[in-house]
Amino acid sequence: MLNFPRWKVVLISFWLLLGTLLALPNLFSEGFLGIEPVDTGSQDPRDVAAYEQQLAEAEASWWPGFLPNNKLNLGLDLQGGVYLLMAIDPTEVATNRLNTIQADVRDVFRQRGDREGIMRQPFVQSGDRLTIELNEPERQLDDAVRRLRSINPTIGQTQTELFDINVSDDRFIQLSVPNSAKNALAADAQGKMMEIIRRRIDPDGVSEISITPQGDARIILEAPGEADPKRIKDILSQAGRLTFNMANTSDSAIRSAMETGRTLRGEQLVEQMEGGFILINRVPELTGADIVTANRCFDEANRPAVCFRLNGAAANKFYNLTARNRGEIFSIVLDDVSMSAPRINEPIPGGSVQITGQFTIEEADDLAAIIEAGELPARLNFLEERTVGPGLGQESIEAGSRASIIGIILVGIFMMIAYGLIGGFAVGSLIANIVLLLGALSGLGATLTLPGIAGIILTIGMAVDANVIVFERVREEQRSGRSPATALQAGYEHAFSAILDANVTTFIAASILYLIGSGPVKGFAVTLAIGIVTSVFTAFVVTRWFTVMYLRTARPKRLAM
Amino acid sequence: MLLRLWPENTKVKFMSFRMVALVASVVALVGSAIMLSTRGLNLGIDFAGGSVIEIVQPEGTTADDVRAATAGMVSGEVNINSARGTGANAVDLAVIRFKTQIPREGEDAESAQQNANNRVRAALTEAFPLETYPDFAIRSSAAVGPKVSAELFRSGVTALGVALLLMTIYITLRFQWQYALGAVSALFHDVFITMGVFALTGFEFNLATIAALLTIVGYSMNDTVIVFDRVREEMRKYKKLEASQVVDLAINATMSRTLLTSTTTLLALLSIFIFGGDVLRGMSFALIFGVIVGTYSSIFVASTVLLMLPSLDRGDKPKREVEGFQGVG
Repeated sequence: MLNFPRWKVVLISFWLLLGTLLALPNLFSEGFLGIEPVDTGSQDPRDVAAYEQQLAEAEASWWPGFLPNNKLNLGLDLQGGVYLLMAIDPTEVATNRLNTIQADVRDVFRQRGDREGIMRQPFVQSGDRLTIELNEPERQLDDAVRRLRSINPTIGQTQTELFDINVSDDRFIQLSVPNSAKNALAADAQGKMMEIIRRRIDPDGVSEISITPQGDARIILEAPGEADPKRIKDILSQAGRLTFNMANTSDSAIRSAMETGRTLRGEQLVEQMEGGFILINRVPELTGADIVTANRCFDEANRPAVCFRLNGAAANKFYNLTARNRGEIFSIVLDDVSMSAPRINEPIPGGSVQITGQFTIEEADDLAAIIEAGELPARLNFLEERTVGPGLGQESIEAGSRASIIGIILVGIFMMIAYGLIGGFAVGSLIANIVLLLGALSGLGATLTLPGIAGIILTIGMAVDANVIVFERVREEQRSGRSPATALQAGYEHAFSAILDANVTTFIAASILYLIGSGPVKGFAVTLAIGIVTSVFTAFVVTRWFTVMYLRTARPKRLAM
Repeated sequence: MLLRLWPENTKVKFMSFRMVALVASVVALVGSAIMLSTRGLNLGIDFAGGSVIEIVQPEGTTADDVRAATAGMVSGEVNINSARGTGANAVDLAVIRFKTQIPREGEDAESAQQNANNRVRAALTEAFPLETYPDFAIRSSAAVGPKVSAELFRSGVTALGVALLLMTIYITLRFQWQYALGAVSALFHDVFITMGVFALTGFEFNLATIAALLTIVGYSMNDTVIVFDRVREEMRKYKKLEASQVVDLAINATMSRTLLTSTTTLLALLSIFIFGGDVLRGMSFALIFGVIVGTYSSIFVASTVLLMLPSLDRGDKPKREVEGFQGVG
């Protein structure tokens, strides 16, 4: 127990050095490096990038590149930002998916070649059910079911089929999406939606947002530095279904549609962004899927607008459309709102289209991002929102640091009063413990939250426990007349099983907390768990090393403790 | 002379007070049950759903101005409290709370909560324009819908249950089942009474409180294990002594350590409670109370239960899985 051969000393020094190297980069702050604080007023990505460049250069000037350079990730509660938990509604994904196969269903019956159709009337879709009524069931039923079965798609990478086929009254065929398929659809949509969310919120790919799946039908968005949750919610709550439709602006037709609530077959009444209504053809000429890029631009009057480019095929189609319909009105419709309804004055080649309207620059940016990112397979429902402003985050960091420093000082003083010089060794290993803990957190890329800071402080209080258990035992052994060396030996031997059991139980508690907790609480669990490991190491190895060195050099008759 | 929190070589007969302690614990447990059933826990939005928005109270305005700005924006009562930030540049704050919303037309339960949050934020920004009130800021806002709050509550309760179960298993493996039952009774005791105190004081009960309770479970178990480890050791050493005398020996021997560790932990926790700011106050309160109850329970509750159970196997030879500390370090 009391032997410290050279290789052990080297090993201990290695761990302590590694911890220190991992923990040190956290000191690199603006003040420490002598850099002007960043002007927080400027949100321009170029300014931010230039600042980061400057910071990196200052660091590199005296911190060699081959050394670890990870800093603690601060949680949203410390650096400020928006946390959003969103759910994908499986029924809505199913409904939308069923919508997209309507054409296939129609084709199934068209293929039969009987123009009058085997359906008495167009089939009806209500939600995630689609009902087909046959007019000559005894002749058509088996064939129809067989054909429907052949177009039943499987979902994503799974073998799950989209719909179940049920026949009722021998003449109604009902396609319905079972729950298993809905869940598979939501899981399949999750990845796509995460990508769309990223492109909408962060079109330039510069910010540090994090988008993570939770379960099969939920998505978590964390946007550090963002202070306005409403803007993010607005951007994400749009379905983003963009279509180009030919429009009918005849006042009398619109008025009659508004009064009677009925339109001509194939037409639809939609709201216009600048107010009023417009009639559009139900069947779109082009859709958002035909768009390659979209970005904010300015119109002739220098007002913010959104410009986008169509892909080659769509550009040709658009040219033909505008050539054919000169003088007519076409409408660009986003989520059932007509954004713009210009008159076609001449054929438009090249596939460049502009939406003008009363946008602010920010609105135009957001709209461009929504259009370019594409349509969400289903709407997102917001379940939980938490926002922390930068002021509160800063205050929390200050309060946490203050509490930590005072905590360390109080515990340190107390240990010195209780155990004298040996207590001082324990304080030394306590400091080593904190350095190792910070080093481990930085090296593992763990996220530090405010409860995490509380976890560190709690670790400081509890870390001395292992030392205390040993010291108490050494005191007892000394009282029964043993020499310092044998007392120390016996102390460490007897204390081990108690310390192991005691720390395993706390570790169990921390692990469960990690598994169930979210955000800040998870941060607490991480610091608590790592703190347990580092405090057992420092108490058993570092304190003992200090004490043994003291015994060897000073050769005291008795350990004063 | 160095500090002693507990004199050396004491022979206090702790276990002769065990009936007194038992009565005290039962009274505290019954009291907690009454508190929990009559007053109930002041559930935060994590578990009850609802919204909390914290703003900087602009200079020259009062909580009444905030009340006026938010009037009619939400269903049910809007609760506004004044507070003060921490630190050198502390500012006056107003904390606005409202409960789970009744959906308006076209809303479901989830969007109702989020929309109400948006409305209140917008109303506040409008009522305190930056030109007139440059110090106004929304410091934080949170809106938790009914679905998530129900899930968080379930997972919190599950976590506590799973923690207790795993620890019972661990202690049964390392000791004997009597020890496990004693230790877990102490844990249950600590958690239940801490919850009772939360009901009594009206401190907000939220996710951080669950984290605190789990930590208390770990800490109290830690304390109990130290005493039990010693009980086991002395049981084998003094086979002729009565069990209660052996327990007394063990408690006396570990008392100094128990008090020292509790003191350092409490010092650290008090530092969080006093200097750590509002956000950590509820959590550190739970921890402080839990450490005190946990220390008490590891001395009186765990051992009392242990002595009430059928006789322990006192073994011929020490049966330790881990012997000493060779091979490491």
